[in-house]
Amino acid sequence: MRPRPLVPVLAAALAVVALQVAVTAAGREYYLTQTIMAAYYAVVALGLCLVMGYAGQISLGHAAFFSLGGYTSAVLTTADLTPLARSGWGGPLLRLHLLQARAGLYGGETIGANPWAAFGGALLLTFAVALLVGYPALRLKGHYLAMATLGFGLIVYRLLLGTNLTGAADGITGVPPWRLGFGLEISGDGAQRIANYYVAWGLVLFTILLLTHIVHSRAGRAFRALHGGETAANSMGINTAAYKLRAFVLSALLAAAAGSMLTHYSGGIGPSEASAMKSVRYVALVAAGGMANLWGVLVVSATLNFLSLRGCFGSYDDALFGALLIAIVSLAPEGPLQPLTAQGRRLWSRLAGHRVMTTPEGPAP
Amino acid sequence: MKRLLTTILAGITAAGMAMAADEKPAQEPIKIGAIFGVTGPAAFLGAPEAKTAEMLVDQLNAKGGLLGRKLQLVLKDSGGSPEKAVSFAKQLIEEDKVLAIIGPSTSGETMQIKPICENAKMILISCAAAEVIVNPLAKYVFKVPQKDSQAVTWIYNTMKAAGITKIGILSDNSGFGQAGKAQLEQLAKVQGMEIAADEVYDKAAKDLTDILTKVKARDVQAVVNWSIVPAQSIIPKNMKQIGLNVPLYQSHGFGNVKYVKAAGEAAEGIIFPSGRLLVAESLPADNPQKAVLMAYKHDYESRYKEDVSTFGGHAYDAVLVLTSAIQKAGSTDRDKVRDAIETLKGLPGTAGIFNFSPEDHNGLALDAFEMLTVKDGKFAEYKK
Repeated sequence: MRPRPLVPVLAAALAVVALQVAVTAAGREYYLTQTIMAAYYAVVALGLCLVMGYAGQISLGHAAFFSLGGYTSAVLTTADLTPLARSGWGGPLLRLHLLQARAGLYGGETIGANPWAAFGGALLLTFAVALLVGYPALRLKGHYLAMATLGFGLIVYRLLLGTNLTGAADGITGVPPWRLGFGLEISGDGAQRIANYYVAWGLVLFTILLLTHIVHSRAGRAFRALHGGETAANSMGINTAAYKLRAFVLSALLAAAAGSMLTHYSGGIGPSEASAMKSVRYVALVAAGGMANLWGVLVVSATLNFLSLRGCFGSYDDALFGALLIAIVSLAPEGPLQPLTAQGRRLWSRLAGHRVMTTPEGPAP
Repeated sequence: MKRLLTTILAGITAAGMAMAADEKPAQEPIKIGAIFGVTGPAAFLGAPEAKTAEMLVDQLNAKGGLLGRKLQLVLKDSGGSPEKAVSFAKQLIEEDKVLAIIGPSTSGETMQIKPICENAKMILISCAAAEVIVNPLAKYVFKVPQKDSQAVTWIYNTMKAAGITKIGILSDNSGFGQAGKAQLEQLAKVQGMEIAADEVYDKAAKDLTDILTKVKARDVQAVVNWSIVPAQSIIPKNMKQIGLNVPLYQSHGFGNVKYVKAAGEAAEGIIFPSGRLLVAESLPADNPQKAVLMAYKHDYESRYKEDVSTFGGHAYDAVLVLTSAIQKAGSTDRDKVRDAIETLKGLPGTAGIFNFSPEDHNGLALDAFEMLTVKDGKFAEYKK
């Protein structure tokens, strides 16, 4: 049976709208603040889900890709590019809207990059870096990607801490709003909160749609074969290295896009976003969500990040994510939600009144 | 399918209604928000700050609170992460509707939430040191620790009195180290000091003999080190090992007896600027800060069974400034309290005597610092 990804995505879209209507009706719109932030982190986890659950590789550098996106946007939009604008290049750059003037918080006016241009730059840079890290590591067999990305993540973290351009330990603040057109903008402005909620969750649903499409396409079948056995897949004529690299680069781009957008929403970014603990967190969320289960990863990562950002775990925040990873790896390596989702599917088919074979959607672990 | 969705929708709406319906008591407590890095890389700042704030609020409530109302501290652990500080600041402003926020512990977090608090007209009293927190001035943003530039001025003045003009600078790659390095370099020009060596090392370094050997070769008259733990204790030991026998000056971050113990005998003679908390006992009885310092030291050490540190003192000052302003305003109207902070004069705190004004949101003068030294494993006032 070929699953139709549109139905669950539409249902999820309805749930997103319902949540907004409910919190607005209850006069508790402030819940959306952490829901928005959790949505962007969920996009990182979803991208990582493709790499871990489907291509069977582990990346311990996704926090670094997230901050690569965030920092590129932050640096380009906050840097004072007035000298560039006054030079011969200034005219064409301003006419193409690659540069924009903005009022400083404490008076004065500076010229920085247009957030769209900065976003494009962030994606280009991430694309190049992900290729550079992934290309050699993914041609080898085994968990070389985990090692390469761990090293890469540590390097990025150290560079951010040691570079004045990225604000060293203090990070970058004063990132301007990103005007998307139609009166929408990505910013922390309270009046724009509902719009930001839909932008963030729009990105989440777009990501799910994109990834389900990939998973159910020719590439998806290749991933499943690859996950089942790399040698077998190779002998069937599947270019496993190329498929793994594509999955890795795409997930890095998703992480960078989320990082860039969240930076505009928060108005800044700090080096803690690039720490190794953050990367481990994303891995833990994907494992907890059931590895090759996009909806499971979405639910688990959005819920846990929402609670974490509201400070529900207090001082035990990092400990909780570490314990979660250990518990899942040792007690339920196929993901704790797997039995639940199988049950749910059985229940669903009984409710829907027709019999469906209960095969897991993803590859067998 | 349709029925399932309707059920889910109804459930969500009902839950929302239930949350909206909780009632409010007649006499609400005065809510104070606090964001501290209790865990994570800034725990050496955040943990004593959180303990101090909790202790002070308990003490005030035991005395009947303020303006006849109890105080309530809404404490959030940011783990030193700016993204959490942003989330918590918005939460404290919109949901908890606190009167003011004290903290965060680090300059990075403070700078992330400075525009948020300013736009929301929320009082923020930061416990971080960077000058940019109050310069450029934001109407609702204050800070209570002394400025880095004041610490550097003290060090250079003391050096000049001892006839030292050629020095070596060491700093770690933390935000604290780099802010200090910038001030040391900038003020050296003004004060006419010659920087013969200027080295940066990793904040987690275990051995620094290599860069100290480099400094030794430059023939300096003194060494200044600006770092957080643990390098503060490693450098004096390494200097003895390679026979670099010149005076060692450190930052105000050295203000915890733990670091003296870690350095052992090598710590003898280290000179550093500090608030008066560490030498509270030996202050003359007529010193205006003595009563505050002795009370804080006694209360903290008897409640938590650990040595008091100057960092916890910043939280003490933040609560003190806020509660003094509430009392002076005689109201919990946020704008009135903000205005009252700017009129606080001659208020003795742990960091110094606070004299706020509409132009000065730090309120501490150069005399907030004093030069201390290590004598027989203890802190003592430095005398030429």
